[in-house]
Amino acid sequence: MTPAETPVLEMHGLTVRYGPGCATCGRSGWVRCPICGTVRGCSSVDLEVYPGEVLGIVGESGSGKSTVLACANLDLAPSSGCVVLAGADVTGVGGSRRRRLRTEVLGIVYQTPQQGLELDLTAGGNIASRPLAAGWRSYAKVRERAFELQSAVELPEDRLDVCVRDFSGGMRQRVQLAKALANSPQLLLLDEPTSGLDVSVQARILDLVRRLQRELRMAMMVVSHDLGVIRMLADRVLVMHQGRVIEHGLTDQVLQDPQQPYTQMLVSAQLL
Amino acid sequence: MSALSEMARSARRGRSGYNYAYLDESAKREVRRAVLKALCLPGHQIPFASRDMPVARGWGSGGLQISLSVVESDDRLKVIDQGDDASMNARALRALIADTAEVETTTDAREATLIQTRHRIPEDDLHEGQVVVFQVPIADPLRVVDSRASITRRMHAEGDYSAIWLYLYEDLARLGASSFSHSYPVEVQGGYVMSPTPIPRHDVPRLDGAPFVSLFGAGREATIYALPPYTRVKPLAFDDRPFEVESFAGPCFRCGASGTYLTEESHQGEAVLVCSDTDFCRRRREGSA
Ligand SMILES: Nc1ncnc2c1ncn2[C@@H]1O[C@H](COP(=O)(O)OP(=O)(O)OP(=O)(O)O)[C@@H](O)[C@H]1O
Ligand SMILES: [Mg+2]
Repeated sequence: MTPAETPVLEMHGLTVRYGPGCATCGRSGWVRCPICGTVRGCSSVDLEVYPGEVLGIVGESGSGKSTVLACANLDLAPSSGCVVLAGADVTGVGGSRRRRLRTEVLGIVYQTPQQGLELDLTAGGNIASRPLAAGWRSYAKVRERAFELQSAVELPEDRLDVCVRDFSGGMRQRVQLAKALANSPQLLLLDEPTSGLDVSVQARILDLVRRLQRELRMAMMVVSHDLGVIRMLADRVLVMHQGRVIEHGLTDQVLQDPQQPYTQMLVSAQLL
Repeated sequence: MSALSEMARSARRGRSGYNYAYLDESAKREVRRAVLKALCLPGHQIPFASRDMPVARGWGSGGLQISLSVVESDDRLKVIDQGDDASMNARALRALIADTAEVETTTDAREATLIQTRHRIPEDDLHEGQVVVFQVPIADPLRVVDSRASITRRMHAEGDYSAIWLYLYEDLARLGASSFSHSYPVEVQGGYVMSPTPIPRHDVPRLDGAPFVSLFGAGREATIYALPPYTRVKPLAFDDRPFEVESFAGPCFRCGASGTYLTEESHQGEAVLVCSDTDFCRRRREGSA
């Protein structure tokens, strides 16, 4: 990571308001505006992710982590602020440009598999959907890519043509990961990739993610409320609280020497 | 049929009861306007104000409205149902159009100027100046991937056809072959993806660069789309899994033709394959095809 490099992702002053907004909520410190009921998803978030780097976002439930990730995946347009992907301002893009960025630049693993997968399609079909969206028109090549990814995420080979609905939670997350990686994204977004999985499966999936990230040297943004996940994957970390970034720095530094009272509480609450 | 032909007969008798070609002039004008738009945007689905017709929606009311709107008194009309001129439905539709629009009818596809059809294109090589009107049950080729029109409209608008490619992929992965036996999706002039209606795959390549005008009418869905002459029509298929037409075990039992589209029929208790285009088959047997 050299400063001269263009970040894969930049966010400047990113603010998301869920609701109509009014004159008061801009000025007040409320998370939920008492006048109009607008909820602040996140406020004035600034961040960059450089090529090959892993940025972690940690914070309690409702602190705005998924909101930031949804903006990065262009699922959500911010109320103000901007999103820059590989040097190009893409704030609020839609239509085919957004589709192209999603298929060629981004990959995402959602918090729940049903957000990211078509459960009635086969595992192979879910994975293949991304090369197909990118315009691949050779069946053999698409199949080959699906096989490659299936073995990369350690799915059993005989399950490629099985409906994802028949898969366990851990296997579904592997399919999501394979799908997210299918077009070799420049930036992989992970939203609580291991929540809802038992501890041993969690550990294996995190190992897998870390190994793939190193092999493919891709940039990654990983969101979790679990400091263990952040500690294992992230080079740098942002701590979010009530929609704001309250602390950021190198992961080891922040976890060993937290400055903010909230972060101190978060770290001491961890069973280490 | 009886109610329909009764109506048609009374139209012939009375005239005053029905307008020329059954529909009133403003209705026909509206349909023709939709047809013109459709011809300007090959393969694009154009909404129109589908009228109540004296046939149930789903029984050719869309095709019927187009035929009645474009027919002229010097036209020669052919109507078929699955290749058969003599089926109940074809006879009823033919009687209604012929009687209210005062046109001659024929069963010979070569001399017809206006052909309304359900599920087939006649086997004869059609030529410039002919108009083929298709009855369409389901207009949107993306219906199989998403039943919400708001979603499929967006996909058409953005040219985002990855969902139908995924459908083709899933067929190959699960079944080893495409599950489309009819309504095989086609790409029109490198743009819109279109359903060529329930014609068999045998007829799909015959739309490519065809010299005739194809008009598609879906009464229930209130949609019209079209192919002007000499339009490129390409079935969607992976480069390494080419599109294939049906193959049959043997030639037509009646006329001996091979390379035509055959259907099964019972002959003295045995299943035999015969041409689905009955008039073409008859002319071959009589030596005039
Ligand atoms: N679609 C929405 N409409 C209204 N409010 C929303 C919406 N999505 C999120 N919020 C609110 O925005 C805030 C941030 O939510 P977000 O989902 O980003 O939190 P999170 O940090 O991902 O939480 P968790 O760890 O539980 O997933 C919360 O107060 C939430 O209630
Ligand atoms: Mg979340």
